[in-house]
Amino acid sequence: MPPHVHVHPDGTSLRDPSRLFYQSDSIRRLIIASYWLFIIAAIPLWWHITSIERLSLPTARVHAQAANHLRFPVQIQLENVQDSSISTSLQKLLDDRIHKSHGLDVQVRQQSDPTNPSDSYVIRAAEGVPSANERSLTYPVRPATLPNLADLLTLLLAPPIDAHRVAQYSPRYRLAFTLLNEDAAAGGAISGWDISGAISRHLSPILTALSVLHNFTIESQVQFHAPLAFSPTPIQDGSYGLTQEDLTVFVNSAEWSLSSSVSNDPVLHFIVFVPSASRRPLKILDSNGLPSTSNAFLLPQWGGMVIYNPPTQDTNSNTNANAPLPPSALHSLFSTFATQLLSLLGVPNLPGDLQTTTDALTGWQLDALLRRRTSENARGAYDTLQSIVKLVDQIENMPVGQDVRGDVLDSLSALEEMYTPSPSSPSSTPPSLTTTLHHSSTALTLASRAFFSPKMLALLYFPAEHKYAVYSPLFASATIPLAAAAIREVVAWRKGRREREGAGGGQ
Amino acid sequence: MFSRLLLLFLFSWTWGTLAATPSHEQIVGDFFNKNGASGGSTSNHTNNWAVLVCSSRYWFNYRHMANALGMYRTVKRLGIPDSNIILMLADDAACNARNRFPGSVYANPGRGLDLYGDNIEVDYRGYEVTVENFIRVLTGRMEPSVPRSKRLLSDASSNIFVYMTGHGGNEFLKFQDNEEISAFDIADAFEQMWQKKRYNEIFFMIDTCQANTMYSKFYSPNILATGSSKLDQNSYSYENDNDLGISVIDRFTHYVLEFMERINKTSHESMADLFAYYDPVKIHSDPGVRSDLFRRPLSEVRITDFLGGVAQVEVGEGVPVDTAAVGEDQWPLQGESPAVPPVLPVAENTQERVGDLGGGWRGMRAWGGVLLIGGLVGWVGFRS
Repeated sequence: MPPHVHVHPDGTSLRDPSRLFYQSDSIRRLIIASYWLFIIAAIPLWWHITSIERLSLPTARVHAQAANHLRFPVQIQLENVQDSSISTSLQKLLDDRIHKSHGLDVQVRQQSDPTNPSDSYVIRAAEGVPSANERSLTYPVRPATLPNLADLLTLLLAPPIDAHRVAQYSPRYRLAFTLLNEDAAAGGAISGWDISGAISRHLSPILTALSVLHNFTIESQVQFHAPLAFSPTPIQDGSYGLTQEDLTVFVNSAEWSLSSSVSNDPVLHFIVFVPSASRRPLKILDSNGLPSTSNAFLLPQWGGMVIYNPPTQDTNSNTNANAPLPPSALHSLFSTFATQLLSLLGVPNLPGDLQTTTDALTGWQLDALLRRRTSENARGAYDTLQSIVKLVDQIENMPVGQDVRGDVLDSLSALEEMYTPSPSSPSSTPPSLTTTLHHSSTALTLASRAFFSPKMLALLYFPAEHKYAVYSPLFASATIPLAAAAIREVVAWRKGRREREGAGGGQ
Repeated sequence: MFSRLLLLFLFSWTWGTLAATPSHEQIVGDFFNKNGASGGSTSNHTNNWAVLVCSSRYWFNYRHMANALGMYRTVKRLGIPDSNIILMLADDAACNARNRFPGSVYANPGRGLDLYGDNIEVDYRGYEVTVENFIRVLTGRMEPSVPRSKRLLSDASSNIFVYMTGHGGNEFLKFQDNEEISAFDIADAFEQMWQKKRYNEIFFMIDTCQANTMYSKFYSPNILATGSSKLDQNSYSYENDNDLGISVIDRFTHYVLEFMERINKTSHESMADLFAYYDPVKIHSDPGVRSDLFRRPLSEVRITDFLGGVAQVEVGEGVPVDTAAVGEDQWPLQGESPAVPPVLPVAENTQERVGDLGGGWRGMRAWGGVLLIGGLVGWVGFRS
């Protein structure tokens, strides 16, 4: 009789419990193996759903952009100059002054050269006061005046910049014009102004000239109660004065609502401030405490303000009448605004004694601004792309989606297009400044859009202890009994096989 | 590990004391600069932003909302416009059903000043105050549909004042009672802001329990941080109001606001004055300051550089050349001036978060523990 069968006293045969069906070894091992198979099959799914989508970014291409530098070719043409040595000496003087950091490649040529491209700068030799129009310069050209001419050209082509005052580049700008009456209830306030006429007369030429750079939206308003947050100091001739410190806190932003917050475009504010009738005239004091002749000031990167003191009315008329802004005042105010707008947008001033008959701005100024904005944009795009690559590298939890990758690639191709134009464009004519600016602006916009993509939010940081504290009760309590059971089965199977072999061998 | 930290602390302490005394020229220069126009401040920012966050809800956290509203009022009074302030309040205390003075929030026991006046603008309210929204505000990564008033549109010349209050602990701050933000998240967000040139300088102030741990992980430059209590210390509330029935403000914020009441838009008070005003005896905890990432000496940093909306101004139509030159002289670069540390003990000069080697060691230790327990359980199971 097999050893695993016992005989019950009343004759029925009992089987060894370990041999019963529900304790069968093979079934038990199959069950434990199926748990393990399930766990092993689920591991790829768990890995997939807990991993972050991080597509690869073209890091090498981004780093390769560091070697690229923008160079602007500048052609200068001399007219009415008989002496051919003047052009060579002028070229040498210019090469001394304009060094590599400006990114300009200047070439001086005589007028008779037929291969001059159409957008070159022309210097006409003529006696008299130097004047500049569009892209031409009238100057008395003599060997003695060449150093001065070279200095002038350097100032025209590569003017010094004031990065603090100039607003940052944006393809769209809002210009907000406000007429603020400090207290119309005190009488003598300004009730309105011919803003559209003033803009079309004074500012439209500038805006049209700059339309290649920016897209402008204009809004205007009149306010009748705009209190100051402080009291101006009275000075002895009956007027009131604003110290330099008062000017820094003049804009009472808590109570003045100066621009509508409809869009995210940057806003430049231009404000005409009419003081209350009880505190007129209001003057700006210089650092010595004396009234200065200027009534306008500029807040860098924000906008400009002009203080308008309405002329005192004679005692016969009704002093409480509100009148619109007289046209003469409008003219001077908007000329000031035009100057302030030019300096806020970064248009360089013409050098001191140069006259001009052009309405808004000459081609020299516009080109200098285009060049500067282009190099700023290119540098900004490169910096942003570098930052994206560095951040994605540094913060491991940051996802990189398809749209981010697409924007980075498009921005890179715009940058590369800017540095080396594609073969489709004719290679004899270099790309115009406008297309270069357009490429750089596209590159910057796309790079910013990629950096600020809402999906690129780094997932919250979980320190190692948190991860183990969360996973251990979950997984350890499930897997340790399974592991123990599996090991026990393996040991029992090996022991059983050894016994069978021993028993088989023994027989 | 411990000996390394000790060495680091000794090094930073000796360096700090060696650089203690200001030079004679600087004292004279400060005197003249204080009387000058806007030439005293060495900052070169052109606009100011403020992000004020109250992260806890429910009626019994009234004091946190009063903290944030008190800071909001101060910041507005000193000149930052609403368009440049992001105010996040996790709950509405003024219109709460338990408020005996509906529509008002007070920050002192006698109910003297109503902070929830007619002219406040809360940008994120109620359940919109989440960790994700806070990080989106800081990093600027928003959906295109988010309106302008909810965005932090700062640039490379903005000074930002970040104020956070709520319940917190060791390197975390609790949001809305169901999630938390860690010090690493804020440090990473500031680093992303630095990479994208979204700030010139940041002043970070936090009023929670164990607040000083929250700024210990910053690693981006130009950040000045202060907190209300150090590790293993609670921050306490100031006083109860008997009619409202709850505490109305926290001690640290109360004393900071008390200091700020003396400041107006043209004050020349500096951060060193503010930090010298801290009194651990009155605040019942040890406030801390972290200035190792900040490049300017604290006695030259004005309060209004961060909490005020003052601007640099250039006078003159057409801006003649000399005026422009004067304007540029107003912003000198003072990289070489010696550092003047504040009176309080400088917070520990922590490095960036523990390097990979440290993290890996901790991970191995943790897994080793798990395996040990598993081994013990298995051994017990196998004994028979």
